[in-house]
Parts: sequence; structure tokens; C-alpha cells
Amino acid sequence: MNVGDTLALKKSDLAMFFASLAHEMRLVAPKRRFGGDVIFDVVESPTQIAWDYGHDIYPPKRFVLPHYEDLFGYRADGEVRFEDLGEAPMQAIVGIRSCDVTAIRFQEKFFSSQIVDPYFKARSDNTVLFSLVCNTPPKKECFCICCDAGPYLDSGFDVELTDLGDRLLYRIGSEKGLKASEPGGHMLAPADGEDRAERKRIELEADSLFATEAYLAKAILFISADEVPDKIWEELGSTCFRCAACTNLCPVCTCYTVDDRREDDGSCVRCRSWDSCQYAGFTREASDHNPRPTFGSRVQRRFYHKASYQYITRDGRHGCVGCGRCVSACLTKLDLPSVVKRIRRSMEEYLQPLPSGEVRP
Amino acid sequence: MVDTPTICGFCSCGCALYVEPTGRRVAALCPSANHPVSTGRLCIKGWNATPALAGEHRLRTPLVRKADKLETASWEEAISVTVSALKQAEPAKIGVIGSAKTTNEECYQLARLARDVIGTPNVDCGCRFYDASLIPGLLETTGVPGSQVGMDAITAAGSILVVGANVMDQLPHVGSRIQDAVENGCKVVAVDPRTSRLAPQAAMFLNPKPGTDLAWLRAMAKSIIERRLYADGVPEMQGFEELVSSLDGVDAGRLAEQCGLSAESIAEAAELLASNPRTIVMFGLGVMQQAESTATIKALADIALLLGGKVMPLRGQNNAQGACDMGLLPDMLAGYAPLPDGAAPGLDAARMLRACATGEIEALLIFGENVALSAPSTQETIDALGKARFVAVADMYLTETAQLADVVFPACSFLEKDGTFTNIERRVQRVRKVIDPPGQARSDLEITAGLASALGSSISADPAEVMAEIAANVPLYSGVSYEALEESWGSPWPCDGAAPRLAAIPPGILPGGAAEPVADPDFPMRMIAGRINFHQQTGTMACRSPILAREYPKSFVEMNEADAEALKIRAGNLVNISTKSGTLTRLLLLSEAVPRGCVHVPHFFGGDSPNALVSYQPDPISGVPAYKACAVKVEAAG
Repeated sequence: MNVGDTLALKKSDLAMFFASLAHEMRLVAPKRRFGGDVIFDVVESPTQIAWDYGHDIYPPKRFVLPHYEDLFGYRADGEVRFEDLGEAPMQAIVGIRSCDVTAIRFQEKFFSSQIVDPYFKARSDNTVLFSLVCNTPPKKECFCICCDAGPYLDSGFDVELTDLGDRLLYRIGSEKGLKASEPGGHMLAPADGEDRAERKRIELEADSLFATEAYLAKAILFISADEVPDKIWEELGSTCFRCAACTNLCPVCTCYTVDDRREDDGSCVRCRSWDSCQYAGFTREASDHNPRPTFGSRVQRRFYHKASYQYITRDGRHGCVGCGRCVSACLTKLDLPSVVKRIRRSMEEYLQPLPSGEVRP
Repeated sequence: MVDTPTICGFCSCGCALYVEPTGRRVAALCPSANHPVSTGRLCIKGWNATPALAGEHRLRTPLVRKADKLETASWEEAISVTVSALKQAEPAKIGVIGSAKTTNEECYQLARLARDVIGTPNVDCGCRFYDASLIPGLLETTGVPGSQVGMDAITAAGSILVVGANVMDQLPHVGSRIQDAVENGCKVVAVDPRTSRLAPQAAMFLNPKPGTDLAWLRAMAKSIIERRLYADGVPEMQGFEELVSSLDGVDAGRLAEQCGLSAESIAEAAELLASNPRTIVMFGLGVMQQAESTATIKALADIALLLGGKVMPLRGQNNAQGACDMGLLPDMLAGYAPLPDGAAPGLDAARMLRACATGEIEALLIFGENVALSAPSTQETIDALGKARFVAVADMYLTETAQLADVVFPACSFLEKDGTFTNIERRVQRVRKVIDPPGQARSDLEITAGLASALGSSISADPAEVMAEIAANVPLYSGVSYEALEESWGSPWPCDGAAPRLAAIPPGILPGGAAEPVADPDFPMRMIAGRINFHQQTGTMACRSPILAREYPKSFVEMNEADAEALKIRAGNLVNISTKSGTLTRLLLLSEAVPRGCVHVPHFFGGDSPNALVSYQPDPISGVPAYKACAVKVEAAG
């Protein structure tokens, strides 16, 4: 086996294959919960994996950037002592969607540029991503196709699985993926021409099935040039419920805060948890000055990160993978496709010539 | 690992969320996608719930006051001190105040502890300081002491009247559905002295003077009847004649003017609601804490009934509905059953507190309600608690109330116990223990059963057993069982059988039926007390969340620029807001949303509460103190 190989895995061997891998690392996969909810979680047995899981809400990013995470402990009674509490278990995230793979690769880049984040790096180094191609978009809110992040990938995965009916197409994308293929390697066979043709057919069909569109290009143009009038941002901000679900559930968002927690024994723990640019307290400075004082300005900030040239230049892509979680998690309509649409429409209005025939400056 | 979902314990929406424990801490939290309320979404408080509950100052052991200091004690000692204090008092001089934040099972057993074990009629819950006025108000009109509709009905509504509720901030899932409704063509009429964040959704936003709701509602009812805007069959409804005659001689124009509105705008609002059927009438604490809250609620129910619509009271606390359903009330038993023949109602929570000062109440048990801040007139309340011979408090933290207690029991948060909550749509939902309580903390159910046992009675501390007992004794809950709640998200208790009747809307109790009291030249402004998005109740939980507490680090008030100019104060100045009951000092901000003559005083973290300024003057029917429209003086501080 080599990186770049395209193989096939029989579905009847699937549980056995991942059971062999489970000897090497823990398996994180979509699991069914109460009332049909699906959440990525540690599975004790591959039989718990909900392969046909459809739609999940809580992005698997939490296995590389935990929602709440203890970083280190310290005592300050007399001599100051530190204890590293970072955890980085070997893990395979199995069944992860293409959009979430793309997002984790984005985060890896972010957390290793300039200052390397050791906690994140240790976790992501120990994580193997087994992505699953979406033969059909799992929910109507999906728009990865507009974000170059799915429904299937050319690269970025460690292993990519495509459901071909009675078997899975198995593509090895990296050295990590190659190594993780070894324990069950005897169950993998070379893929044949029919398998590849079937995969091609699935790609074409999947591409045609998206219900949500986000014509980002024009919006990126307006947002990057700071041409969207403040009035539009403030109108958008006025409907915000300030819950921050959009950033919590965004698989790309990386912002966090730290708190020190005092334990019963008097020691302290530095805890990191997800934070949000949508909170006033996130950008308020010690002097009380807030560079993002209004809800509209914070919505603008978010979209500047999600859809502007500056970040495309810096990170190689815009900060959205089209997973659709902001669509289903927002209490109002401040998800990316809706905001992009509102910006496009209001800009069309805004850019109309004035009644005098003049064009706006 | 994330296991089974539980129900959020902040507001009454009742979202399902998943929590992943690691030891005593929480590692993850997310909403349920398939739950009928949360539908994959949470509000800011839901998302930040866990740090609020796992704060480092959680009580871990019981405390007993010794030589005027609260000292760590064992459970045995705390219970035995409490029981001997209870035995020394006549039962009629003992009061029990429960919490609308605790589970149905805890509320039910607490009411039993009070009535059956201690033998006192003085039992009530924290709703007395919030929304208990809806019980008499709605039982006598719609016949349903709660919402008649579920969350789904909001998105399908043709029109919605929202009175006295900052719904976008306080009940985000209701607010979100109102936005969806508007997108579907629903017409919203919002009525609030202060323009709230509902304004962008509202077809009409009326700003009456604070405290004048009863008066403009009379004008609106009159307008509906005069213009025959009511639904088919309404003239045959019970109470129609009485309603019509109670409005005889109402001069809608004069009334509207007294409220700061016009007769035309009231008529226009009535027509807008009537011409968009499937009307829902919503009202919040802005109504339920007024001087004549019960009468105002009846008038609102009349508007709904006249238009063939439904009523949805916007209750604040997560289990306000359940606590009342369970009979934590001085004048009704579980399921709103009447007291046995000849039994006189006990004192309500507000009266119990005041009775501590006169010696009528000698011993008080308070479970999970921070009365020192939630009751009016903070200094008076604290003094009264100081005069009680014995006070025991069960709470998660050493609250302002617990600091005054003789015995403090460390209680569990909603993540640390099993039970059920009943949400705003009457849905009975399963609360599950997902993390272990800190130290020796126990659930209120265990504490209640422990006290009963020490008093020589046995009551169950097993939530499933208690629910089976509730289901057997309370007809509204007859369909509820833990087995069934393992299979589904639970359903609203039935309300189809209720027979609605229209209530008369007589003029208010003010002399000459005036819409508002004569202005006191010493206290010329009106206080609009409310909550900000990040706050909840007295802040016991919310102020412990670093992110929630971070949003507004300084407490403030808001005023209209013209008023500030007249008083020669500027934005950023410190101002004193005072009444005869007390003074608050806050930072002044200017806001166009606040009408002239008013000052908006948000509830805030750290005990700095507008309740301190309010007197105990209650609504004459429900006993809920009049927290709203309080007359205040505003001046520069220092």
C-alpha cells in the first residue's frame, strides 16, 4: 500500500476493519442519541457507528479544539509549580464529512502559523481523519459545493471512504492514513475500473443535488473592499440574539478564551474554552474602549473573517466550508448564505444610480 | 462521552441539551437537533450554562450558624438543628418558600412537607415575586393557568399581541419563532413603554405610559366590541354581557390619552389583530408585576377570547409552570385543586417575609429562591429575615439570602439531579443527572425527604416514585411517567377541557378610575425595571458565568436624552435613582428607546437590584408586589 492508492473495502468487513484499528487508537464517530440526534463521540465498538447519520450539529472539531479543555495546573503556595494537563489521545475520526476535514486543515494552519499552539498541535498530530463522501448532501442547509470543501475531496483527508453500495472505495491520502490502514490492511483490495466509474457517477450526482446556494464571489468583493454600508451591518445586527451559536458550531472558528479555575485542594487549572467574536466582551479592551461596539460591527467582523480577500490571501481559502451548521443553529437569519444574499441584494439597490443619474462615489 | 439529553434550567423555553462530564467539570455542551423547542439551537445562557453551575464557590457542605457565624457542619447536625427549630414553633408560624427552578418532584414533595408533615398552610414558591398573578387571572378567563398554545403555534399565528415583554432577550426561542411568524406574514402588535428589540418585527409598536395597561386594554376591548371585530359566537360566550356592561360609558379617546396613546392607534391595533385571525396574546412580567396585575391579565385574556385567539403568558423561570402545577401555592393544592373545605389559605411568600418582622412567622424554610434580592424593598426584606427566629436555606451558592440563614443546605444544580421540568408550553420534560454534585451537596428532593424523615414522616426521595405519585394524584399529570419519557421528549399537559369565559374589565382601583396614580413631585420619574440578555433572576447562576458576566461589566441605567438634559446630567455620569425604600447608584447611558419621564433600570449582577427600590404594595388579588412603574427620583450622584 502507498499514499495515493485507491482500494476497496467490503461492507461486510467494515466493523472488523475498524475493530482492528481500535487496538491502535480510539475511534470517534457519529453516534445516534435520543430522538434521532447524532453527535460525534468516542465509540466503544465500530457497530455503534451511524454510517448513514445524515446531519449532525456539534462539529467534530471539538476533538482537536475541545469546547472546554484543561491546559495546565499550577500551585502558588510557596514555590510555583506547573503541571501539564494537555491530553492528546491517538484517535481516528471516522465518518467525518469533507467540510469538517477542510475545516480542521484550516485550523491546523491557523494554530501553526507564527506561534505554534502546542495543545492543538499535539491533538491534531495524533488524529487520523477518515472522511466519508456525501453521496447526497446530508441536509438541505449544506452548501460546501460553494466553498470548495465537499461533497468529496481531492486532498486533505488521511483516508477517504465512498459508499459504493456493498463496498467502500478506500483512498489513502497521507502517511498518517497509510499507517492507520495497516491493522486492517488485509481486508483492503485494489479498486477496479468499475469502482472508479461508480465514484465518478456519485460525484456528478452529488454535485447536482444541493438545495442551498451561497454566491459568495460578489459578497466577498463588497466585504473585502469595505463597501457594505454600516447601515446594512446594523440592520443585520439588530436581529441577532447574541447566542454565538454561529461561531461555536462553526467548524472553522478558532477563537477561545482562558479562565483559571480553583480546585477544592487549592490548586488552579488554566482552562481554555470556545469564545466568540459576537460577544462584546470578546473585543472590549482594558481601557473599556471597544473597537467593535455594536452588534452590527460584530456581525461585520465575523463576515470579514468568513468572506474577505485578506484571509483568502493569508490562509489560502475563505473561512467557511459550507457545512450549514450556522443555518440550523442561528435563532434568526445570520447564517452565511442568508447574509451573503442580503448583502448582494442590498448592494444591488445601493449601487443603483441616484435619481439624478449620478453614480454613488 | 455525551450520553442522554437533559433540559436547560435557565428560562421556561426548556431546551434539550447534551452535556459531557469529565469528573466534576463539563467538557462539552450542545443542543439537541430533534427536540421540539431547541431544534438544534440554544440561547446565550444555554450555551454558557455550565460554568454558571460549576463555579468555584459552590456550597459543598451544610453550614450552621454558631456564635453569629456560619460554620461547616454535618448533614446530621444541620437537619437536627432545623428540626428542633421547627418543633419549637407553632406550625402556623412556620413558612415554606420553594423555588420555580427546582423539579416538579421537588416542588410536590416540598408542598407535602409543608402541608402534611409540618402542618402549615404557609407554603408558596418564588413565582409570587414574578408571575403568580396569572393563576387567578387566567383560571377565571381561559380556564388554563398557563399557555394555551405550544411553540409551534407561534410560527403559524396570523397576529400576535405582545405586551410588557422583552421577549427577544428573555425567551429567545419564542422571539425566534415570532421572527419566523413575521416572515410568514404574521402581524405583530408590540406594546411596551420602552421600545424593545421586538420593534423590527412589529407592524405597530405602542408605547403607553408605564403601569397604564389596564386602562388602554379597556379602551381596546371597547373598540373591539363597538366595531364588532370579535369572532363568531363571542356574544354567546359566558360573561359577554358582563364584559359589555363593565365597559359602559368608557370613553376610549380619553382613556387612550391618559395612557399616552391615541384612540386611533388602539383601534388600528385592534383591527390589525382582528383581521389576521389565529391571534396569540402574549404578555410578560411587564404585565404580571403591575399594581393590578390580575385585572390586567384578565383584560388581556378577554382580548384573546374576543378575537377567537389564544393566550401565551411569557413566564420567566424554567419550572414556573411546574412549581404552580405542583401546588406550591398558599391557596391551592396540586393541579390547582381547592383547599379542603374550611381550610383558610396560608400566607403567600411576600406576606411570609413581612410576617417575619411582626413575629407572625417564626421559622422559615427557603428552597432555592434568593428572596433577599427577588422580594421587593431589599433592606426591609433583609431586616425582616433578621427578625425571624430561624431561617434555613437550601441553595447552590451562599446567596444573599443564604448569608442571613441559620442553617444552609448545599443543593444540586439541574445538571446534578433527576426529575422533570414543565416548560412554557406545559410540556413535561425529563431532567437527567449528567454530572456529580460537588462535595456533599444533595438535591432538594433528598433534603426535603431528609427533613420529613427527621420529623417522623416518610416521603420518597426517588424521583420516579414521586412522579408516579404525582401522576396518580394530579389529573393534569396523569399521562406522565419516566418510562414514557425514555421514549419521547414529553408532551404538554392537556388543556382542551377548559371552559373559557369573558371577564368584566372594571376600571382600576385608582380614584376616579384614573389610568395612573397622581405624580408625586418628590418622585417624578417612572422606573422601567427589566432584564438584559445576559442576566437571569437574581444572578445566582448567570453572574458565575465568566462570559455572561463579561458582557456588561458595569451596571447602568438608560434615559432619554431630553430628560438627561433637563436634569443636567450627561451620559457616563453616575446617577442616583431613589425611592422611599432605597437608592441605587448607576452609570447613565442615553437611549432613544426609553420614553420621556422614564428611567430604564436593568437587573444586574451582584445584588444591585431595582427590586430594592420597590415597596411591598401588592396586586390586591394575587399578592404579587408591584415591581413595575415605580415612581422614582433621578439625580446626579455625589
